Formats: sequence, C-alpha cells, structure tokens
Amino acid sequence: MTLLEMKNVSVHYGRIEAIHDMSFTVEEGEIVSLIGANGAGKTTTMKTISGLLNPSGGSIKFMDEDITKMKAHIRVVQGISQAPEGRGIFPAMTVLENLDMGTFGRKDRSGVSDDLERVFTLFPRLKEREKQFGGTMSGGEQQMLAIGRALMSRPKLLLLDEPSMGLAPQFIRQIFKIITEINGQGTTVLLVEQNANQALARAHRAFVLETGAITHSGTGKELLANPAIKEAYLGVG
Amino acid sequence: MSMSDGPKPLQTSKSAQGTAEAESHGVPPGSSAAVARPRRTFGAWSDKWREMPRTKQWLVLLPVVVLAFLLPLMDIPLITTEPGNDWPLACQAMAIFALVAVGLNIVIGYAGLLDLGYIAFFAVGSYTAAMLTSPDSAFIKIPYLWTIPVAIAVSMFVGVLLGLPTLRLRGDYLAIVTLGFGEIVRILATLIPAMKGQPGFQNVGHPPGVGDDGVPVFANNNGTPWYWLTLVILIIILFLVGNMERSRVGRAWIAIREDEDAAETMGVPTFKYKVWAFALGAGVGGLAGAIMGGQVGFVNNQKFDVVTSILFVAAVVLGGSGNKVGAIVGGALVAYIPLRFTAIAEYKFLIFGVALIIIMIYRAQGLVPARQRLLAYGTKAYADVKRKYGKASHRADTTPQSTAEGASS
Repeated sequence: MTLLEMKNVSVHYGRIEAIHDMSFTVEEGEIVSLIGANGAGKTTTMKTISGLLNPSGGSIKFMDEDITKMKAHIRVVQGISQAPEGRGIFPAMTVLENLDMGTFGRKDRSGVSDDLERVFTLFPRLKEREKQFGGTMSGGEQQMLAIGRALMSRPKLLLLDEPSMGLAPQFIRQIFKIITEINGQGTTVLLVEQNANQALARAHRAFVLETGAITHSGTGKELLANPAIKEAYLGVG
Repeated sequence: MSMSDGPKPLQTSKSAQGTAEAESHGVPPGSSAAVARPRRTFGAWSDKWREMPRTKQWLVLLPVVVLAFLLPLMDIPLITTEPGNDWPLACQAMAIFALVAVGLNIVIGYAGLLDLGYIAFFAVGSYTAAMLTSPDSAFIKIPYLWTIPVAIAVSMFVGVLLGLPTLRLRGDYLAIVTLGFGEIVRILATLIPAMKGQPGFQNVGHPPGVGDDGVPVFANNNGTPWYWLTLVILIIILFLVGNMERSRVGRAWIAIREDEDAAETMGVPTFKYKVWAFALGAGVGGLAGAIMGGQVGFVNNQKFDVVTSILFVAAVVLGGSGNKVGAIVGGALVAYIPLRFTAIAEYKFLIFGVALIIIMIYRAQGLVPARQRLLAYGTKAYADVKRKYGKASHRADTTPQSTAEGASS
C-alpha cells in the first residue's frame, strides 16, 4: 500500500524555487532514502511533508487522503512524525520531558508507557540520562532523543532529517542499525542524508536529489552500483 | 556501566567515554546534578521545594503569605520608605508591578514571545476602569469592582485582536510590532476625544466602604487596603497561572519557547497556544491596569509610555523569565528600589540597565531561574515504566549512582 504520495510538488521561498515538480511515493514498510548535496532541497522536502512548509504547487497524499493543506500539528496525529534537522531538542527540558512532548498530539494515553519502554529499549542511553537536560547532551545523544521523541507519537511514517549529521563514523553505523530496527518493528522510514553510503545500503529504495529535482531513482543497491552516483556522492570513481 | 543484560546497541566508545567523564567528576550520570549549572543557590531550594508534598508546600507558604499581608503595617527600619514616600503606597506599587510581571511572564517567560508593548494592555485596563466610573466620562457608570472583570475581558479581546495578525511573526519582528502597538494605544488616548488625552479622567471609582471618620476605606492615599486587595488578586492569579503552568497548555508554551518548529511537529497547535498566551497575559495586564487606575484615581495619557513598558520587561528578565516567583521578585524590586532610594530614583533607568547587564553576564536565567515539570500523565507513564523495569532490573537506577560514588571516593 502506498503510504505517502508526492505528486508534482513545487516549493518556493519567496520567488526562489527550492523544489521543482517533485513526484515520488513511499510504500508501507519501506526505508526510503533521499540523498543529495547541500542545497539540493532535502530538508525542504522533509519540511513540506511534515507540514512546516506549504507547497506552491502539486499535491501530497498520505494513506489516500489529501494532506496538501493540512497543518503540521494535525499531520502528527495522522501518523507523520519528524526528527528535524539539527535535532530540535527542547534544551531546558529533561530527556523524559522531551520524550513526553512527543506524545502531545496523541489521543490514547494508555499506550504511552509501552512506547516509552520501546524507546528506552532502543536507546538504553536515554534511560540512563532521563533526568538530564536535553541541551547538555552530546550530539549523538541528542540525535537518539530526537528519534526517540519522534517515535513517541507512534508514527506510521517516520521522517529523519540527516540523522548522521555531525556524528562520529562508528556512531553513524549504530544510528543506521537502529533505524533498520525501527523499520523492522513496522514503522515506515523516509530519511534524507548526505552520508550516501549508509543511506543507500540500508534503504529499500532511494532517490537522488539535485537542485530541487529527482535525477536518479532505484533500489538502494542499484544506486550504490551506479557509476555516476559513485563518483558524485560516494567519493569513488 | 554494568549494563550486562538487555539490548545495548549504543554503547559505543564515544558514549562510554562520556560516562567515564561524568563518573570521574563523581556525578551520577542519570541525575540532574550532572548538568553544569552555575550558582545553584536558588536551584537547590527549588529542587527541595518540588520534592515536597503539596500539603507541606502550603504549610511553608502560609507564614510567607501572612508576612506579605502584614508588610504595609510593619515599619522595618532600613527597609521602609518613610518619610519621603508612604510605605503602604510603596507596597501597593510593588504589588501592582508584581502582578504586571506575573502577567507578562506568561507571554515572555512561558511562551517566549517578546512583548515590548505590554503597557498597552495595562492602559486598556486602566482606561476601561476610568471610563466606566469617572464622572468625567460620557459612558454608562458601573460600580468599580465590576469594572475589573470588564477590564480583563476588554484587554483579552484586544490581546486576541493584536495577536491574530502579529503572532505569525517571530522573534525580533514580533518585538517591533508590539513596541508599535504600545505607542498606538497611548496616541489613540490622545487623539480620540472620548479618551480625553492629557486632562484625562479624575475621580476614578474605588471599592465601596467608608471608615468611622467618614473617609472611604479605599481612599487614593490609603495604601494598605489597596495593597491587601491587590495581594488577594495576585494570589488568585498565581494559583491559576500555577495550574496552567503544570497543565498541557504550560508544556505547549515551553515547547514553543524552546523550538517553535519542533513543537509544531510534536503536534502542538503553536499559533493557537501563542494567541492564548497573548490573551491571558493581556488579561492580567488589564487587571493590573484597572487596579492601578482605581488606586491612583486619575488616568490620563501620560502614564503609559514605552519606557514603562520596557521597565515591565526588565522586571520579568531580572526576576527570572519563566518563573512566576521570579516575576514577583523582579516586579517588586523594580517598583521598590526607586521608592526606597529616592536620591537615585532619577537614575532608575540607568541603574536597571546596569543591573540587567550584570544579570545577563553572571546569571542569565534571572534571580530565580525557571524549571519545568512533567505533565501529570507523563509522570504516570514514567512510573509505569519504572515499575516494569524496576522489578526485573533495578540496577538501571542504582548502579550508575554507586559506581559514581565509588569513583569519587
């Protein structure tokens, strides 16, 4: 089943077009990666899906419902949850309070403790630090917190904006391992990355973004093997 | 870390290093003490305070409240303002400023909306009270006490009216627009004939009651009853604001203050909550204005300048943005200092300016820093998890503590 469908979506900042006529789909149960260089429109795409930006053209469908005009805070309730670029941690809240904010839009209070347990199982580090302030944690811990917080709304679609940004190489592998684990538990994942290697290796399907438009698409393995992509994004060739 | 069983996919060398670092300082990594916070004098108090049960908190508060009520009757040497200024009236000024600061704290401290024109709502409240009670006004007259709810309603309405178009702006832009709005109300008071500009409104109403000597209890120069009235209102407002702070609404405000986009993607309808903060803040401002108008007995366009508005912001920031106790301290101090030290009153803006700079350098969170609490259901969910984890493996809580102690000893 198609979970998310972007159809001819364009986004403008003032008069500058950041995304041009973009179309792609995310199927239920997949990990889909968007890779691209700085300024390719990756974060813009994510913000458009989560509802922080309004498209100037095209339509977005989520579970066969048109959400093009839907506000961001309602999309969360519908099942789209984002771990934003730069992590977006609430610095003056503790880890637990940050996680708690993730449940803000939820109607069912009863499932909250199950999800908290799930997050703590995925990230035992967060449990150790549950009373620590978000702003005082390391980059990696903040990234865990951002992903954990996004999971607290029990999303159908998890949007991850550059989860590897600013992390040590060993840590990047861990984060991607956990992303695969989250996906294995039944959450569809759409992630954007500059770290093309990991993003392509872990993805079922992937798209390459260049100056606001999709230039390549295929399975993760196909794109990993593509010579042009190897040269441009993987630093070999 | 002796996390021997259970999944631990993130025990990388990096995180292990972080733990070792925390342990070498002898701080349990799971505790809030691991957070480097400069000067925790007040922080330690507030930690203790939070751990107290509600009934115990009330018991501690009772003498404080009694003392606050007795304040205008006590002539403490060095603290009192006599003979230059009347001490009960000074107490009243402090209470009004504290009330204003508590209201503005909702807007600036909780929701993080820098409102430089808060004086506008104060003015709206004052004018509402004046125009509905003063014989100089052409409007219908109602008893003074009834003007208080009317003033709250009118200022909240104005707050929403101003908030709807402007709260789409952020940060500096919002500050500039509110600054303009503060001026607009004052200028309107000059231009609109019904608001009587500089001549203003004399003999603004006051609560009923006449003393044995035939002088009204709430005479303009009789500070004590006015102070008591303001104090009762302040306590009611504190109670309401306290409940709001602990509720879902309060959490939403804090999230908006910290990161508006993140809050929105957590499911917080940010615009709605910002308008709410604005309206509630405006309501408290209007309330304070109505009391001020009644106590002074005279309302004209000269009192509501931008400088006073900035003074309100200074009170909130000085006391500790985001903390209602801080707001009271800040508000009371800003009112008290020029009245107590009349020799330096002329330089009050210079002094507060310097004080603010010093505060920003050495204690950026203000005199009484803010701390947030969990939502009730969050705490409950946490307790559930703790119970689940607790029986099987309570080492998760105890071990880091003991290893840390071992390392430090």
